[in-house]
Amino acid sequence: MTKTILIIDDDDDIREATQICLEIIGDWKIITASSGREGLQEATNQKPDVILLDVMMPDMDGIETFTQLQANTATQNIPVIFLTAKAQPAEQRQFTQLKVSGVITKPYDPFELSDNITKILG
Amino acid sequence: MTKKKKVDSLEMMLHRMIDRIRQSLELSVILSSTVAEVRAFLNTDRVKIYQFEADGSGEVVAESVDSQKLSSLLGQHFPAEDIPLEIRELYLRERQRTIVNIASRQIGMSSSVNGNSEAEIKFREVDPCHAEYLVAMGAQSSLVVPIVDRDRLWGLLVSHHSLPQIVTKNELEVVQLIADQTSIAIAQSNLLESTRAQAKQEASINRVGEFLHSMTEMQLQKALKQTVFAVQGSGGRVYITPQNTESEGQLFVSGEQPLLLAQEEENSQSFVPLEKHPSWQTWLKNTLQSRDLALPLAIADFDANPLPSDWKICFKPTRIKSIITIKLEYRQKILGYLSIFRQGIDIETIWAKRPDRDDPRNQFPRKSFEIWRELKQNKARPWTSSEIELAQTLGNHFAIAIYQYQLYQQVRALNASLELRVQERTAELQQANQKLVQEISDRLKTRASLERLSHQNELILNSAGEGIYGLNLEGITTFVNPAAAEILGYGVDELESQPIHEIVNHSTAEGIVYSWQETPIYQTLQTGEIHYITNEIFWRKDRTNFPVEYVSTPIREQEQIVGAVVIFKDITERLIIDRMKDEFVSVVSHELRTPLTSIRSAIGVLSSGRLEPKSSKSQRLLEIALNNSNHLVRLINDILDLERIKSGKVTMLKENHNAADLMTDAVEIVQSMADKAQITISVTPLSVQLWSDRDRLIQTLTNLLSNAIKFSPPHTTVHLDAQLQSDGTIRFEVKDRGRGIPPDSLETIFDRFQQVDASDSRDRGGTGLGLAICRSIVQQHGGQIWVESILGQGSTFCFTLPIGD
Repeated sequence: MTKTILIIDDDDDIREATQICLEIIGDWKIITASSGREGLQEATNQKPDVILLDVMMPDMDGIETFTQLQANTATQNIPVIFLTAKAQPAEQRQFTQLKVSGVITKPYDPFELSDNITKILG
Repeated sequence: MTKKKKVDSLEMMLHRMIDRIRQSLELSVILSSTVAEVRAFLNTDRVKIYQFEADGSGEVVAESVDSQKLSSLLGQHFPAEDIPLEIRELYLRERQRTIVNIASRQIGMSSSVNGNSEAEIKFREVDPCHAEYLVAMGAQSSLVVPIVDRDRLWGLLVSHHSLPQIVTKNELEVVQLIADQTSIAIAQSNLLESTRAQAKQEASINRVGEFLHSMTEMQLQKALKQTVFAVQGSGGRVYITPQNTESEGQLFVSGEQPLLLAQEEENSQSFVPLEKHPSWQTWLKNTLQSRDLALPLAIADFDANPLPSDWKICFKPTRIKSIITIKLEYRQKILGYLSIFRQGIDIETIWAKRPDRDDPRNQFPRKSFEIWRELKQNKARPWTSSEIELAQTLGNHFAIAIYQYQLYQQVRALNASLELRVQERTAELQQANQKLVQEISDRLKTRASLERLSHQNELILNSAGEGIYGLNLEGITTFVNPAAAEILGYGVDELESQPIHEIVNHSTAEGIVYSWQETPIYQTLQTGEIHYITNEIFWRKDRTNFPVEYVSTPIREQEQIVGAVVIFKDITERLIIDRMKDEFVSVVSHELRTPLTSIRSAIGVLSSGRLEPKSSKSQRLLEIALNNSNHLVRLINDILDLERIKSGKVTMLKENHNAADLMTDAVEIVQSMADKAQITISVTPLSVQLWSDRDRLIQTLTNLLSNAIKFSPPHTTVHLDAQLQSDGTIRFEVKDRGRGIPPDSLETIFDRFQQVDASDSRDRGGTGLGLAICRSIVQQHGGQIWVESILGQGSTFCFTLPIGD
C-alpha cells in the first residue's frame, strides 16, 4: 500500500521541488500544505504516514503545528520530521526533546531525506 | 807695748775677727784667719786647729806656723789615743783649757763651764808623758782651748811655741773668746753646709722629678742617671715589676751593674736580673724582718755585711761595695725597686805616726812625729743619713711617677682603644650615613617614579572609558574612577569608601536580592580567581539598571590578596547590536537556505539519473552544479557556525563524556570518507571522563580527521590518539602522512580562509573555515590547539582540553 507523505512548508518552491524529488525517488503519495493550519487539516483528513514539517513559518510555526498535532489524538502518532534552516546542533537538540522522529537541515540531499523517511516507515 | 795699747790691739783683733767671721761663711777661710790672728795675738810659733773625727782621731785642719821655728802639722791625722777619751770628755764637759810650760814643768788648767770664763787657772805639775809629747812636737809651751759645737767637741784651738812662754789669764780669755766665735762660725758654717746640701738635694729631687713627672713621656733613664749622681753612687737601676702575668718586668740601668744571675728552670738555665731571682725576695724578707719597714734597704759594706751566696757571683767582678734599695711602693702596691750601687774608694790618710807601731796599749809618749801615709784601697763608703733620706725621697718620686705613668699608659691604651672604637664607629656611621643617603636618594627617585606612575595611573584611570573601582577585602571601595561614577550616576566622592555591592549590584534585573557572598567579585577576593562576567546588571543612582560586563581581578601584595579591581562597562548598546546581528544571521541563514533547498533538491535528483537520459555534457554540468551547491551549503554552515562560536553566542553544553566514545564516534562519521580515499584510520581510544560539549568536540575531531584524510596519499594510515597529561589535560593527536605544512604557515593555518594552497578549497572540498572553527571550539573549552609538521613527511594536529571544569 502506497504510503502518504505530507509536506508542510510555506515556501512554494521547496514544497514542489521536494514533492517531485520524493515522487521520483520513492513510491510514495505526496500531499502538501502551505501553512501550519492547512497542514493540521490535511493531517487530520488524510492521515499521512509521515509529516515533513518546516519549522519557520508565518502565523503558525513548526513547533506550534507539532504541538497541535500532538494534541490531536487523530494525528498524535504520525511520525514528524522537522525541516529546518537552523543548523545549530543546540537548536536541533531542542527539536529532539519534542520527540520528533527526525530533523533534516535545509538545504538537504533528497536522497538522504528519502533514506530517513524509508527508515521511519520501516 | 803699754797695757792700753795691748787692750786696744786686743779689741781691734776681736773686732776684726768677728767681722771676718761675719763676712765669710766659708769655714776654711774662718779657720785660716782664726789661726793667723791668734798666732799674731799670742806671738807664738804655731797655732793650729785640730778637728775630731767621729772615732776620736783627728786632723789638723788649719794652721799658722813659723816654719823656721816649728814644723807644719797641717793635714796630719792623729790617732784617737793621742788625746784619750777621758781627756776629750774633760774638754767637752768642763770646757777645760790647758796651758803647759815645759820649762817650769807646770800645767795650768782652767774650766770655763757655765760661761765662767773668769775662772782661776790652777797649776800643777805637768805629766811627763805630756811634756815629752809636746817636746817631740818641738814645743816648749802650749795653750789648748776646746772648740765646742753645741754638745759636741768639735776640735781644739792649739798654740805651740818653741820657747817657754807664759800665757796670762787675759790672754787665755781672749783666746777663749776667739774659740767661742769660732764655734759660732762653725755652727753657722755647718748650717750653711747643711742648707747647701739641702738645696742641692732639693735641686736633685727637682731635676729627677722633672724627668719623672713629664706625663707624656717618663724619662726614667735620665731620672735614674740623675738619681745615681745625686746620691753619689757609681750605678743604679730601676726594676719595674710586671703589671700582670702576661707582661715582663722592665729594667732600667745606669752606670756599673751587677751581672745577671743564673736561674734554674725546667730543663734549662736562664739568666735573670737580681730582682727576678728568687734570692731577691728572700733577701728582702730577711732584711725587712730586722729593720724598720719604712727604711730603705741599705748595705753599707759588702765586706762587713754578708751577701746572699748567690749574689757574690754577680757582684764579685765589680767594684761595687754597697747598695741601697728603695722599695717603690704606692698605695699599697709594690711597683718595683730602685737600687743604687756605690763603688769602694781608695782612702789615703796622712798620719802623724804609724798606727801599727804605736800600740794604744803603749803608754809611752811618742818620740817622733814623722809623717806616715796610710792608703786604704776599695773601701766601702758608707751611706750618710742624708743620702739615704735623699734616696728614699727620690724613690718615692719614682714610685709616684711609675704609678702615674702606668695609669697614664692604661689611660692611653684605653684612649687608643676608645679612639679605635670611635674610628670604627665613625666608619660604621659613615657607611650607614652613605647607605642612608643612598636609600633616601633611592626613595626620592622611587617616590618621583611613583608620583609619575601615580599621575600616569590617574590619567589612565581618569581617561579610561570603562568604569574601574578597587575594593579591599571587606568589599569597601578604595578608589573609583570618574567613568565608573559617571556610568553609575554618582559623584566619585559618593562611591569612595563605600560597600559598593550594596549600591550597584544588590539585586538581579528581576529584583531578586543578590548577596555579596554570591558574587564573583567576592570569589575573586576569597580565591584570587579572575572572573569575566557578562550576564549581570548594575544599578544606577536613579534606581534604573543596565546590563554590565565586568572583570574582577585580585590585587596582591607579596602573594597576599589585599583586594580586587573591577573593570566594568555598560553593554546595553552592545546587546542591542548583538541581538540585531543574531537576528540578521538568523534571517540570512534562513533566507539563504530556503532557495538553496529547492536548488539542491532539484539538482540532486536531476544529477542522479533517475529521469530520462541526458547527454554526457548536461550530466556533467548538473554534477558541477551539485558540487558547488553542496560547497555553498557547507560555506554557509561554516560561516554561521564560526561567527556564533567566536562571538560567544553559542554556549558550550558541557557534560561528562568518555573521551573514548567521542573518538570512536568521530571516526565512525569519517569512516566512509576514509574508505573512499583508501585511507586506514587507526584509533587508540582513551577512556577518561571529559567535561565537554559532545557535538562540538566531535565536530573538532571530524574536522581534523577529514582534513587528514583529504591530504593523505591513498594506502596510508591516519592516527587518532589521546593521552592523559600530568597537568590534568587530555592531549588529542591526529597524525597523517600527507604533504606537510611549511613552517611559516603553522600559525596562520588556523585563521579563516588560510589554506596552504588556495586551490585546496576547490579540489579538497574544504571551506577554509574548518581549522578556525576547531580553534574556536577548543578555546571555548579552555584548551589549546596547534600543529607540528615536517614538510613532505606529514602533520600532527594536537589539541589539549582540561578534563574537568
